[in-house]
Amino acid sequence: MANKVAIIASNGGLFDAYKVFNIATAAAATDSQVAIFFTFEGLNLIHKQAYEQLPMPAGKEHFQEGFKAANVPSIPDLVSMAQELGVKIIACQMTMDVMNLQKEDFIDGIDVGGAVTFLDFAQDANVTLTF
Amino acid sequence: MTNLLVNRTLECEGLACPLPVVRTKKTVEEMQTGEVLEVRATDKGSVADLQSWAKRTGHQYIGLKEDNGVFRHYIRKSDPTEIKEERKFPHLIAHEEIQKKLSAGEKMNIVDVREPAEYAFGRIPGAVSIPLGELEGRMRELDPEQEYYLICRSGNRSDIACQTLAENDFKYVKNAVQGMTEWTGEVEKD
Repeated sequence: MANKVAIIASNGGLFDAYKVFNIATAAAATDSQVAIFFTFEGLNLIHKQAYEQLPMPAGKEHFQEGFKAANVPSIPDLVSMAQELGVKIIACQMTMDVMNLQKEDFIDGIDVGGAVTFLDFAQDANVTLTF
Repeated sequence: MTNLLVNRTLECEGLACPLPVVRTKKTVEEMQTGEVLEVRATDKGSVADLQSWAKRTGHQYIGLKEDNGVFRHYIRKSDPTEIKEERKFPHLIAHEEIQKKLSAGEKMNIVDVREPAEYAFGRIPGAVSIPLGELEGRMRELDPEQEYYLICRSGNRSDIACQTLAENDFKYVKNAVQGMTEWTGEVEKD
């Protein structure tokens, strides 16, 4: 059976986005099944507008140039790459209700589910990560 | 640096992690089992990453060359689900015997039928390279009256090569069935 990687993304900054999507795409490219559960501020990482310009941590704005120099792909590029590789994206229904967000506010191709949807996948995951 | 003959080259120069890995996966998917891919990357992380990737996915990591800050990775596509083919050629030679002959200074005709990149990263000293796919066309370079020892990585390709030569009236052909994976003797490299 394929390796399974279950990730929880609960923070909404640019650094958080890279941690989540780099690990997810690398795992998927290495033949793992990957699911990411986006909750609370993590929802920013798949929000149609927000994910285009995620904030840097305060005082770290100078890293912007480093990202450019290292030719790091943009978050929207990484997200579509992840989806192409079959990474499953689950947005947390409860947090969406709290923040008054609809499925249409997010990028295409996502699932919306509750904690159990994620736990069902994570139950027999070999690797579980929280960012 | 000389270029090694490969089936495909993937240019990942200037790309950051995880792109070299992602592109390698996509490219390998489009290739045939047994073909060799060269990945050119400048990402220093790719040195460890692509080896781990190959180990995880069951592909053969042949080797790495560094050239002016460009890492050239050589990977051979394997099919991990493929059941080992049954070997049919009955005449075999053990590595021990090859070692013995070599240390006695005996002249041996060893033909290495792996891909050129595999050959470049380590072969039995004096072995000649004729990749399996070229064997039919290059058979005339060999003499049917002489003795030949055929070797590959694990004994499968050399088994097929032995059969091909035997069908073409080669009289003294032996399969070094343990392959390079079990060779512990001296190794010659490019």
